[in-house]
Amino acid sequence: MKDSTATTGDLDPLIHVPTRLKIIATLAALPDGDTLSFTRLQDLIGLTPGNLIIHLRKLEEADYISSSKARNGNASITTVAITGHGRAALGTYTRALRELLGGL
Amino acid sequence: MNHTPDPTTAGHGGAFDPREAAALLEQTTRQARRQFAPAQPWLLAIRAVLVLAALGAVWLSVRGQHPYHGPGASALLIVAAFVIINFTATVAVRRRATAGVSGRSRFSPAEITVMVVAYIAPFVVLAALGDTGDNHSGTLLTVPLIVAGLAWAALSAVRADWRSCGTGLAVAVTGAAGAAAGQAGAWAVTGVGLCLTLLGTAAVIARQLDRA
Repeated sequence: MKDSTATTGDLDPLIHVPTRLKIIATLAALPDGDTLSFTRLQDLIGLTPGNLIIHLRKLEEADYISSSKARNGNASITTVAITGHGRAALGTYTRALRELLGGL
Repeated sequence: MNHTPDPTTAGHGGAFDPREAAALLEQTTRQARRQFAPAQPWLLAIRAVLVLAALGAVWLSVRGQHPYHGPGASALLIVAAFVIINFTATVAVRRRATAGVSGRSRFSPAEITVMVVAYIAPFVVLAALGDTGDNHSGTLLTVPLIVAGLAWAALSAVRADWRSCGTGLAVAVTGAAGAAAGQAGAWAVTGVGLCLTLLGTAAVIARQLDRA
């Protein structure tokens, strides 16, 4: 039975990092298809821009999030959104976490 | 199962306790939902009390009138103050919640236009019919509520936002019940109906936000 053999190894290593867990959980709180500006996400997570970019890049490489840049006058606005794949990965991670904690 | 150490786990040494992860996930989800919620339960509860007080004050000033000639200037000032405070607070909270968010959470210009027209059009039609005097003030209160409530319900149904759809229908039903209660009774029925609608909506949203 999976419940009795669940280990931390079953947890997606890409999500099982405090900062990335916060990022993906925050983006998942938005309705499907909504995007969030980089600056608002930074405010919510409380990271420096450099740190946030590193984590976002990792999530984007795995296709868990998508990002896009739009020009607004002279400024450029970066927005990020969770993808369907990312939402599914968070669901799988949450289930794995429940199984693991249920077995502890 | 071995994974390559992740440098971005700095400070946790790669050993992130599952219990901590579960707590962080729950806390982050709850906080994010609160931050993105365009209507806050506490604000809805305050609005519920204010609408009951404002419309109740008007009802107290008109309930003994035979024939009905409408509320006095001071009572109408209370209602006007409520409408302004209500509108300003709602817009400010919504703007704060949707800052940096784009997509379905934001109303499109077409949706905003539909709502503005739905609220203004009844006044225009009633004015054209000559139903805008003080002795028709109950009608002026309830008819726009019916039209705006139905418009809000329709817009929410298109967005598959069933909670908001329910709120819109409740507002429309309140307006209809108020209209049936006569010119003086409309103020009391509408005040109680809107108060209950706002409290009900606040309770539903509070439950949704607490469900991580």
